[in-house]
Amino acid sequence: MSIMEQYGMRSNRGWSLTCLLAFSCLWGCSGGTESGPSTTSGGTEEKLTICLLPKIKGIAYFSSCAEGAREAADELGNVELIYDGPTDGDPKKQAEMIEQWTVEGVDVICVAPNAPDVVAGAMRDAQDAGIKVLTWDAEGVEGTRSFFVNQATSQAIGEGMVQAMVKDLGGPDVEGDVVIISSDATSANQNAWIDVMKPALEKTKLNLVTIKYPGENASNALADAQDVIKKYPNLKGIFGISSVSFPGAAEAVEQMGKSGEILVTGLSTPNEMKRFVRNGTVKSVVLWNTIDLGYLTVLAAESLAQGKLKPGDTAIQAGRLGEKPIAGDNILLGDILVFTADNIDQYDF
Amino acid sequence: MSSLTDIAIRVLRQREVGLLLLIIVVTAIVSTVDPGFLAVGNLKDILVRSAPTAIVACGVMLVVVTGEIDISVGSLMALLAALMGLLISRHEWQLSMWVGIPAVLLCGTLIGLLTGTLVTLGKVPSIIVTLGLLTALRGATTLLMRGENIDGLPEGLQSLAKSGIGGLPLSVWTAMGVLMFTGVIITHTALGRRLFALGSSAYAAKMTGLSETRLKLFAFAYTGFLTALATVVDVPRLPKIESGIGNGFELLVVTCVVVGGVAISGGRGRLVGVMLAVVLLTMVRPVLTFLDVGEAGEKWTKAIQGLFILLAVITDTVVSRRPTGSARGPVPVKPSSHLESEGAPA
Repeated sequence: MSIMEQYGMRSNRGWSLTCLLAFSCLWGCSGGTESGPSTTSGGTEEKLTICLLPKIKGIAYFSSCAEGAREAADELGNVELIYDGPTDGDPKKQAEMIEQWTVEGVDVICVAPNAPDVVAGAMRDAQDAGIKVLTWDAEGVEGTRSFFVNQATSQAIGEGMVQAMVKDLGGPDVEGDVVIISSDATSANQNAWIDVMKPALEKTKLNLVTIKYPGENASNALADAQDVIKKYPNLKGIFGISSVSFPGAAEAVEQMGKSGEILVTGLSTPNEMKRFVRNGTVKSVVLWNTIDLGYLTVLAAESLAQGKLKPGDTAIQAGRLGEKPIAGDNILLGDILVFTADNIDQYDF
Repeated sequence: MSSLTDIAIRVLRQREVGLLLLIIVVTAIVSTVDPGFLAVGNLKDILVRSAPTAIVACGVMLVVVTGEIDISVGSLMALLAALMGLLISRHEWQLSMWVGIPAVLLCGTLIGLLTGTLVTLGKVPSIIVTLGLLTALRGATTLLMRGENIDGLPEGLQSLAKSGIGGLPLSVWTAMGVLMFTGVIITHTALGRRLFALGSSAYAAKMTGLSETRLKLFAFAYTGFLTALATVVDVPRLPKIESGIGNGFELLVVTCVVVGGVAISGGRGRLVGVMLAVVLLTMVRPVLTFLDVGEAGEKWTKAIQGLFILLAVITDTVVSRRPTGSARGPVPVKPSSHLESEGAPA
């Protein structure tokens, strides 16, 4: 009787576990199952499988990149595009996805590393397995990729944000405190921009008092912005340099009734910030064209897989974007765009 | 051993006293550095940020008291926020708030029931079930949101969440209500005593005819309901609903429960301790800002939260090893006593 019971329980437990695992795989790795690399969908010619890995799947910024990537894939016709990534920005999950794709034997993997060190091993393994590896949006560790599709140099972005802030505050003679609200302390992009912003700010009369790291968490970003506004009475501006900290900082300024007194600037997609640009909390939104970034990345991936793009090339033919320069192993998308109340309504992403 | 140290140990065994002392010391240090920390506006902000954690911790505490755990509440919050956005945002289905919000509360409760069912009837350890749900619910959120952020929640709900009634946001009033309700369940109902009894000794509880399944189902469903409640009152405070909402929230809540003195093995813990832990851990971010520790300091936030867990566990072990009284030792798994004695806290 007791043995029977035990067996009954065992099989019951095994069944539940299986269901649970199946359930979490289906939902957790959403999209991973819907397009395996072996599906050459009808046509006789072999399709190239290109994987595009964002830092975080599901946020507007990367979704607009994916839009451009799909456009490029449709235009090329010979490309099977897999767009997938962790929904919480966990770099360990990025590494797992790269490993999975390596096992499946895809052609090109384009990685936007959230923590370059964490994914470096998986990227090297993919290269060793003969898969072409690119980075896009964020740079990886040296030797883990053949090209980096650089949306805009850190120099251009960092200086662009500082210039926008100085201009919005009323010119180079304005004095006051500013803070930077970043993403995680390990985010490579943000750290590179900060390295440019610090010396750029030193040339102005603005004083950088602190840098906050709320992570990709909207509540923390809002809280940090509220706290710095209370802490530094001479605060004139906040740089919100991630897609979460920018609206978070703007929300804090608005809720505390400081719109117009404390200006917020940073990087974001235009749609995300339209509300704050219209009510005057934000005067400038700095960004590159994210759709073009996804588009260029997939074109570069295809050229690389076909052998049209080789180390040492100084330019690449990029479809509707025309010819794009290559500096060393950086494929350059171009300069930054600044969205203001005058032009923000012309953009919809 | 002198009676004085004896008293000191007895006092320190009350986790609440230690936490309160820690809160007072930290506040004293910070307000010496910057008196602005004690400004009404700042204290109110800390209260507002504590509210969602306090609400959900009431549920997770009861789950832990029964000897189980729930580490999925962060993802559940994201899913429910997405659902709320889809139902009532003026850019989405535009349902009435009076339809949408009950639907969100119902959905939270049902997911809690599902978790409880997998744990009790499915016999899967709760850590595994909720670990799976942590990923699964986050993935479901992304699917539901189709890569877009959602804004345009009803203005009335937004202003209740941001400025609120009588100077305090809706979330704070809700947290007070939930606290009182949970307090009454724990101290004044048979249900509360049974939850603690089950956690102290599942065997003894079963022998006395308590239904383990029903009690655990209640704890998980209550947690699901409270997570939905916290979502409804707190998320409209944020600029928009995005799929990263509640990132790390599950760990914060579990940390509060453990630091608050609830035994991870079940059967022991007090609501007051958990609430003090919620306040203490919510204070970490603003404290670092007001101490002006600079950019390096912010990187310590997570390390400090981790330190609190370790401190809690270490004081627990050290203090309970001292040979005074009987209060805090590990619970023996004998089918005797403990039903009433260890159970009901104040």
